[in-house]
Amino acid sequence: MATRVHQVRILQVDEIAPATRVFRLERPPDFSFTPGQFVSCLLDVDGETLTKPYTITSDPETSGHLDICLNRVDGGRGSTRLFDMGAGASLNVTGPWGTFTMVTAPARECVFIGIDTGIAAIRPLLHRALAAPAAPVVLWQRAESPPHLLFRTELEALALRHPTFDYHAMTDTPLLETIDQRYVHADERRDREFFICGVGEIVAKLRDRLRAAGYERRAVHYERW
Amino acid sequence: MVKLRVLFENGSPERVIEFDRAKVPLQHDGKPGSFLDVLLGNGIHLEHACGGSCACTTCHVIVKQGFEQLSEAEENELDLLDKAPGLTMTSRLGCQAVIEKDGEYTVVVPKFTINQG
Repeated sequence: MATRVHQVRILQVDEIAPATRVFRLERPPDFSFTPGQFVSCLLDVDGETLTKPYTITSDPETSGHLDICLNRVDGGRGSTRLFDMGAGASLNVTGPWGTFTMVTAPARECVFIGIDTGIAAIRPLLHRALAAPAAPVVLWQRAESPPHLLFRTELEALALRHPTFDYHAMTDTPLLETIDQRYVHADERRDREFFICGVGEIVAKLRDRLRAAGYERRAVHYERW
Repeated sequence: MVKLRVLFENGSPERVIEFDRAKVPLQHDGKPGSFLDVLLGNGIHLEHACGGSCACTTCHVIVKQGFEQLSEAEENELDLLDKAPGLTMTSRLGCQAVIEKDGEYTVVVPKFTINQG
């Protein structure tokens, strides 16, 4: 089956942190997706078409648009090309794609770990988990500095509104050690479900640590960028 | 030299590629020398929605010949393959399976990938 390409307009561009932008895209008709899925942007750069995936950070219930969030990567041809584009420009996308998703809130404690721009993928999953929370929900957000704690105001408001939601934002605290202490050494429970998203080796380290500690393989979901 | 035969479940005509492993990467997506790299570098389309970064299953291929001569699958690839429709014992992600030895290989590109069923 041929992949369907959607031509969409960029409706709005917001710089939400240093070198980090949310691109609001026109949502194609009949475009349905599950929280956590991504679109692939087909970007023409130097005579080539690059395929670059960006997670949809808005919710499926949001009508009319899709938001994608990305930072400008030094030397990154895809992000550089997108950062050159503004509202009104057209973009070719395919999708939705990806299996790092959540259809319904897990019945057991749900622990989200969002690292840097990985929080963009966690955000719609978190919204889905909080839509009908069946168990406690925890978010650990890690970024290089306070301005890079994306969506922090919104996340703090969610924590105030949902008594079963516990939000931790960190910049200086070592993430691996924190997770290790809290979910490996603090108790013998191994009935939690994890959703981890971020850039680089830390994602694999967290996955390996949790699985080695006795959490079910399929209860440790992750997406590494 | 490597001889790679590519079969398509969707009925497209089979393709045969011969290439020198010393010349990889042939383009920019997927691991250098992977099936994705070799196919794209020879003008053969293989879906790769994540850009060949091991974040989806759209480049799923079934290896019919040469499976033992490929790079070993890492955990990330195995976790993703679990979610691939039509999974077989010799399934690999095209972006991750690197041809490590000269010889003959055959892969099948499945008709459906996830989200295209």
